Amino acid sequence: MMDATVTMLFGRPAAGAATRESRRVMRADDAVRDEIPVLEMVEPLPGFPEHRRFALARLDDAGVLCALRSIDDPDLRFLVVPPAAFFTDYAPVIDDQTAAALEISSADDVLALVLVNPGESARTATVNLLAPVLVNHRTRRATQVVLDDPTLPLRAPLVTS
Amino acid sequence: MLVLSRRVGESIVIGDNITVTVLDVRGDVVRVGVDAPRQVAVHREELWRELEEANRASASPSDNVIADLTRAVSARRD
Repeated sequence: MMDATVTMLFGRPAAGAATRESRRVMRADDAVRDEIPVLEMVEPLPGFPEHRRFALARLDDAGVLCALRSIDDPDLRFLVVPPAAFFTDYAPVIDDQTAAALEISSADDVLALVLVNPGESARTATVNLLAPVLVNHRTRRATQVVLDDPTLPLRAPLVTS
Repeated sequence: MLVLSRRVGESIVIGDNITVTVLDVRGDVVRVGVDAPRQVAVHREELWRELEEANRASASPSDNVIADLTRAVSARRD
């Protein structure tokens, strides 16, 4: 199954046999939705002040692991995952300031992605739950937010097995 | 560095629209209120440095590491 949160950004499931079949009757607006989404950081990621625009691309068929690649510097990329796929209780609270910066009018507008620090191998990978990247999936405006909850870890083990 | 002494309840003004007010002093803890426009980011410095460090550590993993993690994530859902 495609992860529901990321699907909102891509607009349609990953290319498979069935999708390829349906593409024969694809309309123009489907073609637009099939583009790789480009996220615009309203504030740059801390540590990377020069980079404002990132293309989001799926790495696995289910669309869980994604790459966030800088448009300005293709050598810069991050790995992100929708936290819900791994941390079922995780529910970031968005402050008014962030909601305004991302032009969020309803909770349905927002999706969260967390940055993966892969370390040496999949077993050592951690994710940053303290500072998720929040995305308005309608406008694709995004920002990394430090949540007001000191119990959230900057490096939470990503259990993949 | 400009150094100013302030009492509780007193403020300093930075530029046209940023005000920093000392709200409370207890022992070695000072509570500070910052009034700034929305586009001015305000952060605790040590947290900000940690976040920069975590982001840098996460940047641009090798193709091998990405392939390893992609396999692990795919296998998890099978």
